Amino acid sequence: MKSLKQIWLKFAGTRVGQSIFRVGLPESNLGRMQAMVSSFLLHLHPAKVHRHSLQFSSTLGLGLISLYLFLILCITGVALMFFYVPHPDHAYDNMKDIEFVVSAGMIARNMHRWSAHLMVLCVFLHMCRVFYTGGYKPPREFNWIVGVGLFVMTLVLSFTGYLLPWDQLAFWAITVGTNIAGYAPVVGKKIQFLLLGGNIVGESSLLRFYVLHVILLPAAAVFLIALHLWRVRKDGGLSRPDEPDVLVQQVETGQLATSKTYGLMELARGTSPAVGLKPEDEVPAWPHLVFRELLLFLATMVVVMFLSVFWNAPLEALANPAHPPNPAKAPWYFLGLQELTAYSAFWGGVAVPALLLVALVALPYLDRKRAGVGVWFARERRVAVTLFTICVVAAVILTVIGTYFRGPNWGWVWPWAASAVIPH
Amino acid sequence: MDSLKKFYPWFALLGLAVGGLVLAGYYKDEFREWKRWQRDYNAQELSRAATPEQKEAARALAVELKQIVLPGLQRVDRCTTCHLAVEDPGYAGYKQPLAYHPNHAQHPFEKFGCTICHQGQGRATEREAAHGRVAHWEHPMLAMKYIEASCAKCHAATDVPRSPLLARGRALFDEQGCIGCHKLGGFGGNLGPELDKVGAKRSPEWLAKHFKSPEELVTGSSMPPLKRSDADVEALTLFMLGQTGEQLTEYYVSMKSIPGPELGQRLFAQKGCIGCHSVGGKGGKVGPPLDDVTKRRAADWIVKHFRDPASVSPETVMPKYNFTEPEIRALAAFLGSLTGADVSAFMKIPSQASPIERGRAVYLKFGCGGCHGADGEGGVPNRNAKAHQQIPALTAANDVADVFLESFITEGIPDPAKLDPNGPKPPIYMPAFGDKISEGELADLISYLRSLQPAPNGKP
Repeated sequence: MKSLKQIWLKFAGTRVGQSIFRVGLPESNLGRMQAMVSSFLLHLHPAKVHRHSLQFSSTLGLGLISLYLFLILCITGVALMFFYVPHPDHAYDNMKDIEFVVSAGMIARNMHRWSAHLMVLCVFLHMCRVFYTGGYKPPREFNWIVGVGLFVMTLVLSFTGYLLPWDQLAFWAITVGTNIAGYAPVVGKKIQFLLLGGNIVGESSLLRFYVLHVILLPAAAVFLIALHLWRVRKDGGLSRPDEPDVLVQQVETGQLATSKTYGLMELARGTSPAVGLKPEDEVPAWPHLVFRELLLFLATMVVVMFLSVFWNAPLEALANPAHPPNPAKAPWYFLGLQELTAYSAFWGGVAVPALLLVALVALPYLDRKRAGVGVWFARERRVAVTLFTICVVAAVILTVIGTYFRGPNWGWVWPWAASAVIPH
Repeated sequence: MDSLKKFYPWFALLGLAVGGLVLAGYYKDEFREWKRWQRDYNAQELSRAATPEQKEAARALAVELKQIVLPGLQRVDRCTTCHLAVEDPGYAGYKQPLAYHPNHAQHPFEKFGCTICHQGQGRATEREAAHGRVAHWEHPMLAMKYIEASCAKCHAATDVPRSPLLARGRALFDEQGCIGCHKLGGFGGNLGPELDKVGAKRSPEWLAKHFKSPEELVTGSSMPPLKRSDADVEALTLFMLGQTGEQLTEYYVSMKSIPGPELGQRLFAQKGCIGCHSVGGKGGKVGPPLDDVTKRRAADWIVKHFRDPASVSPETVMPKYNFTEPEIRALAAFLGSLTGADVSAFMKIPSQASPIERGRAVYLKFGCGGCHGADGEGGVPNRNAKAHQQIPALTAANDVADVFLESFITEGIPDPAKLDPNGPKPPIYMPAFGDKISEGELADLISYLRSLQPAPNGKP
């Protein structure tokens, strides 16, 4: 370990090393902050970070894990693009080739698949975390909306990728999924047609979903992620409980006179990152934040790699428009909606998703009390927490029912009952 | 802030785990079953090498994926990655995967690959997946007892040498009158589903079971069970398996009929060549006799003549028939086979047969036997039909005037009388054939039906 560090220091000290890293391995707190500010990759971070933000229990690392999964998805996705032609004549064969003859092809596909599912899950859990810790409260209202946008983006990215293998699973999941979109009044059928490039899933749908999946949506997601992270910094770091501001307190109790001109600079109220931050509550981001991020990345990789080595991504039979499976199911994260459409196409396909989206976007402007920020399930927010929990539990229950308890003709089946094999 | 030291064990653990998983992934990717088979083969080659050159060649053998790319058949077959010795007769009798494949002279691997006949998953490189015995692969390898079914993908069922089971299946299909209820190749009835792609959809086990007891597999099926020997059921299953509806490119489709003398003979009869030409002294006198035409003319001349008679004999009155190239080859082969034999041996075309024989042919053509029995004896069950819950025999035609018989055939009986008026509709009814059957065929068919009635003295 020691010698490794020395080699590094030696290299960083050379002309080449200096030209790359600008500063050597930091030894003082000043150097640590310089390191953060002067490095392209690290300057996204603050130079100093609050202790509360570093605690795992504050965030559960869910936002970062989502970002890591997005990076894994980008890298494995580009690798897969080298072997994939978005045409019904080739797509399925390409999947077979990726599985059987492309070096590390199956691992790359597995990583892509499992990361995509995990990302949907993590982004959702991240949203729950932010809600339960009141993270959307002023001044972070807009960043919550960006987050909602990213959640939708994650779902749409996953959904467009679902079609690309061109197997039965893909074909019918997309057929069902776009049918749900078609239930919207007036524009529903138009949207469905626009998405599919036709009335049913076909050649042009595959091309459209491909272009959306590999260019348009990732670019949009990168933009939104950048905006999201930028706003985290500009809104004063991660949300955390209010701390009594010593200076303000002194002014209010009359211990400190405000007639002095320096008071204008010292006593700024509001949300600037400088307000309320006491130096002793912060630590240099290098190494305290960076090292934790590295650990979290390793943990994410362990989970993704473990899943990918031991469980292959599914690939069913070649897509066959003449043979719908019974039941045809949408991707799992839409099965809650599909379950609802079984009761009412309008409610499940239009009203519920639209209302949920509107409610999520409006949430920070409806719930404006500052109380309970940075605290899990704050007592002051009992009503909001209860309402949100009811929605989450309902969504989970509906999704679980749609996934495990629905059989042929959307009839009720017990997951442990042997599935009725339709002979052929 | 506290030291980060408490995280060091986690760092080490997670780092090792990622490293281990990367190695595991690499191992899975790198050490594949087929590489072992290839090393076995290469070692085998080395041990069999006799001369220094052979030894050198054996040592130079790489371990690499092998594949046959078949754009015309829309497939890529990688079977030869493991089955390395299919073309080497020296491996005859070896155990799989190193066995030699006999009889492939007419179906060279580079043109046909493997899966067009054997099925399975050509792109796969792992045993179970390649043999198609995995979930979500719909065409597992065809059992060898059904292998002749694959001949029918390119060849007409009756033309293929060495495929007696396929021919037997085809004959049974005709005899049983399947076409009365099912469409095949666009011709047939509407009571049952079309059969053009049935071989791609159904497994042999399903088909065989379905023939024996249709209702067990398809609830409410009105198809009568096939009361035949197991061998016949297998033959019919095999014929069905060959009906895959696969779209093949021209090279393969041109083999639909093998251009042999048998096909030429059929064409010769169909096209009415005998109207102008004679064979063995029988036939028309407009054109020259054809017994010795292959002695008088070069093969090349005959082929050109079939393509366009005027191109080689400008004065000819023979019209230009639009024969396909395989048809031309078939006709030439037939002419070459003529040795002055009695032309009547192959001139049994329907127009020369008696009305009863022709009517019998019509009976088979429309698959009447599927419901009314191979010889009009009836007996196929039809639940809740007044006629003893079965389809009536046709031996009772004597009581019915021609005009009624005609209307039964052309207009059908869409609503057979019910045994129990409150019960369900009988599942089988007589379809209308009016738009399909020609007047001549109708007359012949009625002659045949009359021939089925018992004679007044009790003898048929």
